[in-house]
Amino acid sequence: MAMFASAGTIERLVNALAKLPGVGRKTAARLAFHILKMPQQEAVELAEVILEVKEKVGFCAVCNNISETDPCAVCTDPRRRRDVICVVEQAMDVAALEKAEGFVGLFHVLGGRLSPLDGIGPDDLKIKELLDRLRGEVSEIILATNPNVEGEATATYLARLLRPMGVKVTRIARGLPVGSDLEYADSVTLTRALEGRQEY
Amino acid sequence: MQVRSVTITSFRNFEALTQQFAPGVNVFFGANGSGKTNLLEAIYALCLGRSQRGVADTVLLRDGAEVYRLAGELTTDSRSTHVAVAYQKGGRRKITIDEVPVRPAELFERFCAVAAGPEDSAILSGAPSQRRLFLDLHLSQHSQTYLKELVAYQRALAQKNAALKGRMDASLFDDQLIDYGSAITLRRAAFVRELREASRPYYRDISQGEAFDMQYSPELETDPECDDIAIIKAAFVEQLERNRDREMYQKTAVVGPHRDDLAISIAGFPARTHGSQGQWRTAAVALKLAIYRMLTDKRRMAPLLVLDEIFAELDDYRTSALISGFSGFEQLFLTTAVEPPEPLRTNATRFKITAGRVERIG
Repeated sequence: MAMFASAGTIERLVNALAKLPGVGRKTAARLAFHILKMPQQEAVELAEVILEVKEKVGFCAVCNNISETDPCAVCTDPRRRRDVICVVEQAMDVAALEKAEGFVGLFHVLGGRLSPLDGIGPDDLKIKELLDRLRGEVSEIILATNPNVEGEATATYLARLLRPMGVKVTRIARGLPVGSDLEYADSVTLTRALEGRQEY
Repeated sequence: MQVRSVTITSFRNFEALTQQFAPGVNVFFGANGSGKTNLLEAIYALCLGRSQRGVADTVLLRDGAEVYRLAGELTTDSRSTHVAVAYQKGGRRKITIDEVPVRPAELFERFCAVAAGPEDSAILSGAPSQRRLFLDLHLSQHSQTYLKELVAYQRALAQKNAALKGRMDASLFDDQLIDYGSAITLRRAAFVRELREASRPYYRDISQGEAFDMQYSPELETDPECDDIAIIKAAFVEQLERNRDREMYQKTAVVGPHRDDLAISIAGFPARTHGSQGQWRTAAVALKLAIYRMLTDKRRMAPLLVLDEIFAELDDYRTSALISGFSGFEQLFLTTAVEPPEPLRTNATRFKITAGRVERIG
């Protein structure tokens, strides 16, 4: 961006913002100018909270979820079932499942999925940590990795690893989104939903 | 369906151009290298997001340009839609329908086009990959499920190959290859059966009596007529098991429909090794006519017809047989270096192409 040639600081900010997911050069420039026009107080608050989040928020040593405490609030909650662990790819998936309020067990965040194309293998995920947790009272592992090529391969890997250890392994169902219409479902989802039909 | 207008920016030899088209026959004529085929390519790419010549986006960029853009008004059932296809060097194709970004597959769901041209002979004379491309392109226009299964299969295959090369556990992807691959095999078998029956009469009529046959030859060792997915899956499982060492050694996945082929014969001999130029050309045209007929029935819309110099090598008899085969079209685009054949001359709208410029003549 030639227009910033004499404005080194602004360009540094634009470059930093452009590294964020979903933000391109144009959006980054718009955000940077917005920050420039902000009241001083707001800008300071934004800068401080970014620093704070990096200082205070870390990872739970047990489940690898993001947390301000270690172990995290879910892992230490006495009301939660400790015999069921739901395995997900990322911390965002935990947030989604928690919002749904339907699951009362514990989580385990892998920190990614198997993807040979990106050079990501089992050693790059928190799998050893998951195995360490099995020594306790765990009776069921729910595999809640994404229903795409990489998520399915990750689930296959974990199932092969866990089954011989005598723990019950389940996979979340694939099917139609609740509250939607059949006519709007994509064809592969419909096919899977038919395959996974249950007696009624 | 119809293409009412197109605006082209930095595509092939066109710098900037907006052109309206007419319903019915649109004829592009002009000297060699003037850009007739490029204009057809722009129209086809606006409908389906890709070149009918199957080339990469970088090839479509005007010399020295960084971005190309195609935009235009498409109609289906007299409903009008604004479509734009844009590509920036090093990036991915961006497609919008009525200003809303969509996946490339959406164009296949909404629109429908059949292209025929000199490059079609490669279906007969070329490598197996040419015949798979032909099958995939037309089956995807027939079935959205097929396109999605194909995309998932290719992703799983790429992951498996990367795992084999990187000494990771490649078998993790086998379940998905079996699932998607068996479904693909089943659909290809049914499609080829239908295509064979639909293309034979066209070939016989155009060639005045020569025999034409086509068999699906799946890589999986199953009967090509098999329509039981359980049998196909069992064969897939068994062949994967048998080839496990070979895949490890070759560091590439060798089992599955990514190695399928079509066995096509003309007058009783394999087309690829024994066919003449004229026979290839005629067979390619018969296949495209069959595809056009099947698509019209399946999609209940007249596909856009994009015909590139297809009359050049055909005699009068074959030409008129061809034109009657494409009857019922809403809109047809064709290029010719000579006068278009008589049945298409009346009621045609003619455009003269000169060095990247287009001029409507009557």
